[in-house]
Amino acid sequence: MLKVENLVAGYGKVQVLQDVSLEVPQGSLVTLIGSNGAGKTTTLRAVCGMIAAQSGRIMLDGAEITGLAPHQITRRGLAHSPEGRRVFPTLPVADNLLLGAFTRVTGSRPKGDVARDLDRMYAMFPRLAERRAQLAGTLSGGEQQMLAMARALMLAPLVLLLDEPSMGLAPRLVEEVFSIIARLKAERVTMLLVEQFAAAALDVADFGYVLENGRVTASGPAAALKNDPAVRAAYLGTAH
Amino acid sequence: MTSEYSMQVLAQLLVSGIAVGMIYGVIAFGYQLTFATSKTLNFGQGEALMLGSLVGLSVVTITGYWIMLPIVLAFGMIQGAVVERLGVRQAIKTKSEAGWIMATIALGIIFKNLAENIWGRDALKFPSPLPEAPLSFMGVNVLPMEVVIVFGALAMMLLVEVFNRRSIYGKAVVATANDRDAAGLMGINTSLVITFSYALSSMTAAFAGVLVAPVTLTGASMGGALGLKAFAVAIIGGLSSGMGVVVGGLILGITETLTGYYLSTGYKDVPGLVLLLLVLSLKPSGLFGSATIKKV
Repeated sequence: MLKVENLVAGYGKVQVLQDVSLEVPQGSLVTLIGSNGAGKTTTLRAVCGMIAAQSGRIMLDGAEITGLAPHQITRRGLAHSPEGRRVFPTLPVADNLLLGAFTRVTGSRPKGDVARDLDRMYAMFPRLAERRAQLAGTLSGGEQQMLAMARALMLAPLVLLLDEPSMGLAPRLVEEVFSIIARLKAERVTMLLVEQFAAAALDVADFGYVLENGRVTASGPAAALKNDPAVRAAYLGTAH
Repeated sequence: MTSEYSMQVLAQLLVSGIAVGMIYGVIAFGYQLTFATSKTLNFGQGEALMLGSLVGLSVVTITGYWIMLPIVLAFGMIQGAVVERLGVRQAIKTKSEAGWIMATIALGIIFKNLAENIWGRDALKFPSPLPEAPLSFMGVNVLPMEVVIVFGALAMMLLVEVFNRRSIYGKAVVATANDRDAAGLMGINTSLVITFSYALSSMTAAFAGVLVAPVTLTGASMGGALGLKAFAVAIIGGLSSGMGVVVGGLILGITETLTGYYLSTGYKDVPGLVLLLLVLSLKPSGLFGSATIKKV
């Protein structure tokens, strides 16, 4: 569903991604792990068009999306729950969710049943239902994370990018985030997950890629990666 | 001079001050619209007002007053979009700190020269849609047009506010103002939103131009002072607060008319500008502005 081929990208003259290739098949959960600064977030930013690829190709659902602007890529069906949540602080929770479906309401994506999907989000995230009239800026960090994920899901996306959904959350909330990811996986939502908690990510994922200094250095079924001695030593030793 | 008479004078001055203040407020509101989405301002806002007023003057003789209004509003939108495309878009794209300042000032000067060549340099009389005889309320004279200014300006701001809160496109504008990158991730074309906010901003200025013209006269040079004072109002009230520009406008309009009468017309502009300096040194975000706090 999503395919990245020999991606080179960075910020200005700083090249962060040297050569990244990965694939996210339909209905699967793929995780990208690696240490800080390896290029995980940069990969997601390049995929969604927030930064330009210097070379390489990005394919979504069989069509090339390299070089498109973020709003054009969203209109092709790619949703992104960004690092730092980035909810709209002065808008109520309900409006944040509605904006997730902006392309559906305004006709650049198939409309489907927006009201039903909104109800589904409130069922999946009961805390958001309680706070639907509250301004997003007044939510706690955990609630904002739920909102960012729910907002991305409101696109009814072909692929969902999740960037560090557990970042800065209390352990109990991290567990909650992972249980939601597991539930989305059971619903066959196609996802690319970037996570600092490598062990937890590999537990829930189908397939994993290890990123080091802007290159993919290892990849394989998540269970196999988890038992790989090199991966264990580098990423799983201290995290869990 | 009886005290009853002096109360009447004061009430009379307040009425004029409120009308002038609402004009400042609605122009300042236009500054807010573009600042919210793009952190840039149209320093040719006064010229947008002037053009709206002069285009209105030419159109009104053909179509009459009420058909002229939507034509002027449409003209204002196009003029604002042109300013954004020519003067601002490139500066935003290259994250230029100051490019848009000079570019919008330059466009304003060009518009002014253009207007001087088309309509001349003299002040022109703008026909009033309403009787020009003042109405008298308990001895205070109020021009019908002054009432229209106050309610017209409020209605314009209210309409934009309702659009922003109720419609999905308005919410897209607010989202762009909140976080441009995140708005892009929602599938919102944020460049178009910024063009639109410039269009809306010039539209409110053009509207203010036809509102004020029957009271003040119109002409190629009418925009400069109004644009600058409205900018002061936007700073006094806060560039992020809708209510701030109304209050800021009223404060400036009323102090001006009071100073003009009780002190000297020569000092008319001083108290407002002193207030501006005070606000800048004591509460730089404006009387009603809030310093945005980002939660991480």
